[in-house]
Amino acid sequence: MATTTLEPRAAGYRRAWVLDWLTTVDHKKIGILYIVNSFLFFFAAGILALVVRSELAVPGMQFLDEQTYNQAFTMHGTIMLFLFIIPVLSGFGNYIVPLQLGAPDMAFPRINALSFWLLPLGGLLIFSGYLFGGAAAEGWTSYAPLSNRAEGVGTDLWIIGLALVGTASILGAVNFITTIFKMRAPGMTLFRMPIFVWTILVTATLILLATPVLTAGLIALFIDRNYGGSFFDPSVGGNPILWQHIFWFFGHPEVYIVILPGMGVVSEVLPVFSRKPLFGYKAFVFATIAIGLLSFSVWAHHMFTTGGALFLPFFSFMTALIGIPTGVKMFNWLGTLYRGKLVFSTAMLFALGFISMFLIGGISGVMLASPPIDFHVQDTYFVVAHLHYVFFGGSVFAVFAATYYWFPKMFGRKLNEPLGKIHFWIHFIGFNLAFFPMHELGLLGMPRRIADYADRPDWVILNFMSTVGAFMIAVSVIPFLINVIATFINGEPAGDDPWEANTLEWATTSPPPPYNFDRLPPIHSERPLFFLTHGHGHAAERPGDLEEGSEEDAEHRKGVV
Amino acid sequence: MAPRSRLRAIVRIGAPLLLIGLLSGCLIPPDPKTEAAKDVFNLYLLVLALAAIVFIGVEGFLLYAVFRYRRKPGDDVLPEQLHGNNTVEVIWTLIPTVIVFTLFGFSMITLGEVNAKADNPTTIQVDGFQWQWTFRYDDGPSITGTAVDPPVLAVPVGEPVRLVLNSLDVNHSFYVPQFLIKRDLIPVGENGTPNELEFTVSEEGTYSGQCAEFCGAFHDDMTFSVEAMSRDAFDQFIASGGAPPEPAEGECSTTIQLAAVESIRFDTDSIEVPAGEDFCVELTNNDTVPHDFGVVETQYTGEIVQPGESLTYVVPAMEAGDYTFLCTLHPTAMVGDLTVTE
Repeated sequence: MATTTLEPRAAGYRRAWVLDWLTTVDHKKIGILYIVNSFLFFFAAGILALVVRSELAVPGMQFLDEQTYNQAFTMHGTIMLFLFIIPVLSGFGNYIVPLQLGAPDMAFPRINALSFWLLPLGGLLIFSGYLFGGAAAEGWTSYAPLSNRAEGVGTDLWIIGLALVGTASILGAVNFITTIFKMRAPGMTLFRMPIFVWTILVTATLILLATPVLTAGLIALFIDRNYGGSFFDPSVGGNPILWQHIFWFFGHPEVYIVILPGMGVVSEVLPVFSRKPLFGYKAFVFATIAIGLLSFSVWAHHMFTTGGALFLPFFSFMTALIGIPTGVKMFNWLGTLYRGKLVFSTAMLFALGFISMFLIGGISGVMLASPPIDFHVQDTYFVVAHLHYVFFGGSVFAVFAATYYWFPKMFGRKLNEPLGKIHFWIHFIGFNLAFFPMHELGLLGMPRRIADYADRPDWVILNFMSTVGAFMIAVSVIPFLINVIATFINGEPAGDDPWEANTLEWATTSPPPPYNFDRLPPIHSERPLFFLTHGHGHAAERPGDLEEGSEEDAEHRKGVV
Repeated sequence: MAPRSRLRAIVRIGAPLLLIGLLSGCLIPPDPKTEAAKDVFNLYLLVLALAAIVFIGVEGFLLYAVFRYRRKPGDDVLPEQLHGNNTVEVIWTLIPTVIVFTLFGFSMITLGEVNAKADNPTTIQVDGFQWQWTFRYDDGPSITGTAVDPPVLAVPVGEPVRLVLNSLDVNHSFYVPQFLIKRDLIPVGENGTPNELEFTVSEEGTYSGQCAEFCGAFHDDMTFSVEAMSRDAFDQFIASGGAPPEPAEGECSTTIQLAAVESIRFDTDSIEVPAGEDFCVELTNNDTVPHDFGVVETQYTGEIVQPGESLTYVVPAMEAGDYTFLCTLHPTAMVGDLTVTE
């Protein structure tokens, strides 16, 4: 008679490797899928950027005709924003947020899988315009009535693809908000959540409020184009400015959707490598919330030059106000460095790069808030420089900081530090070479989105510098890819907590097991792991942290299984 | 250690100087050439100075921290765990507050000057369309440019000029960098009010400009220049033009009917004419933007036909063969085969 042996339950679900990844509902695997998918789109859109910069290297049309050029910059912008920066940060959120909260998974694992799988589908639809007579070519802002009149199915595919990507974002946002409010570990009060979780929470709220507005606009545009609608077409009584209002009512919060998680990453990395807590945790949280609230009252600063009945002082004032919480955050980061003991890992270098580059984007943003200055530089390369210092100098630096910081947790091996530093320095120098000259180009009056430009010596040299910088950025990806591959083959094992970090994701194995934790350390502050190693000593200035077993904690403990 | 600390001293002193040099050497807009532009220029200098202070302060501290607070190898002592400091945090909330309020105040003052309206300006109608400009003067000429021959906007110097900015199709933007201003041309339909832009050019000269709002395939072709001239020269310019194009003279045994239709198209993509004799092309413009008629190979280019009008061209005789006709304003969207047969 055969004896029955008890096997681990998981073995019953073992599947082929490919099928496992295709059908997974594990937040960690979905997070990695997000990140890998986003990087693939990053490389595709990066190649388009090189196409654009090659054409602009010298005046005259060398490689492309105008329409191909217009498709290239349109696809570059759309893909970078909607299929790289937003999803890659969502990917890190997906992987890290449940771990940092001490939760076993996201609240809705299947919705989580759905919101990921909509992304490659939407992205491929947007790209597929190239197969059907040309991709969309109206710029990522797709202003009406140009987009109403644009011929070809590329623009329709762009609309449908973006609507899907938007739906994915909305589903993801619902999932994050539910997870953060409902699945925190015992003792993890809101004000003990890591800053990264806070920024994801505010970001998810922004997505939930802003993205449906874009989706509505996209549907209206689709009706205009295909079913004889007249939302935006002035020749039949529509209003083209309405599109700009809809687009930017989404579009400005979108900027913060992209930058807030980046700020969160930096606020995780800086304290760890300074061996100090984040300076002014609560101020930082309130500044994040303030930025989120203000972001809905500033959209028309993208429309200062449209004239009409726009009340400029209001939008100018609200935009200037955003400078205050952003400034507070900047000082918080500097305060964190002050009298710290800084370790310059690659993650730290990218975080410091974020601060120094985002500062430039912030300053040029405040300049653009002044209507008379905006009248001059709006729609010129100054704006292109500004937005790249925010999106690239800000968010993309944060994405690489996150990659180097959390890679050991995800795969159990540390990325090679010397290669990482080579990556950082080529990236940093190339970035500044590519985008700093654009400030001057814009001030001199070179409009954006032109395929060819006047043969003026000052414009030519600045454009050429910028093109060299763009290729340097492309080159910097090579050591990064080598690093990732080499680490998979023969990387240094990371252990559970290679950085002596503060937050819960480092309290489990690398990579974490399914459902994440066998047991959790007690949570008395926003740095439970630091607390574990160094005890109460550090918290003397914050008596609140010493109150073990306060009522709040007790309530949470009742939930423990 | 001596060489290293000298290096540090050089970096400490040199880096800010280098930054100041970079910031003051570039990052300056072109010389302002209108009265309002001078105010904008001064505002910009003020803002740039504030920006430079913030930039040098923050980046300076960052560099200082990077060198000063480096963790030494083997140093396992924890630094003091500073969680915050209310006084400091209040102060550094006030710093950006003061800066942005200053910026906002000065911006509003300048905005008033930029948007000031004069009593009796010279008014010029500016029509933007894919992908050219028409400048129309009351009782004067109407000038439409082409990609190879950009239009010139003549304005009197030292007097207020008002542009009425009409778009015939999609959004465009009238931008002259040396005026430090742009304003969009938005299609407003029949009942809307078009945007206006007022300025007073302070110096005679020619200033280049171009469309600054992406408007489709040949957005980059929409260049123009502004020529600021004395009042006398301007009056002369107005008097010299203004006559509508002469109707075409000449006899044609063959007349081709050709129409330009909505959304930048000819109604046919092939026409056939006999060789060895002049022929006529009657172009009716049913589109919303101006068009013309030209032949690529012979470089014949006819007058521009405004929307709703029509014009007959007398095209010089050609030898038998295959040619291409086009609208020179829309050389890729509007082309067709011209077959000349014996």
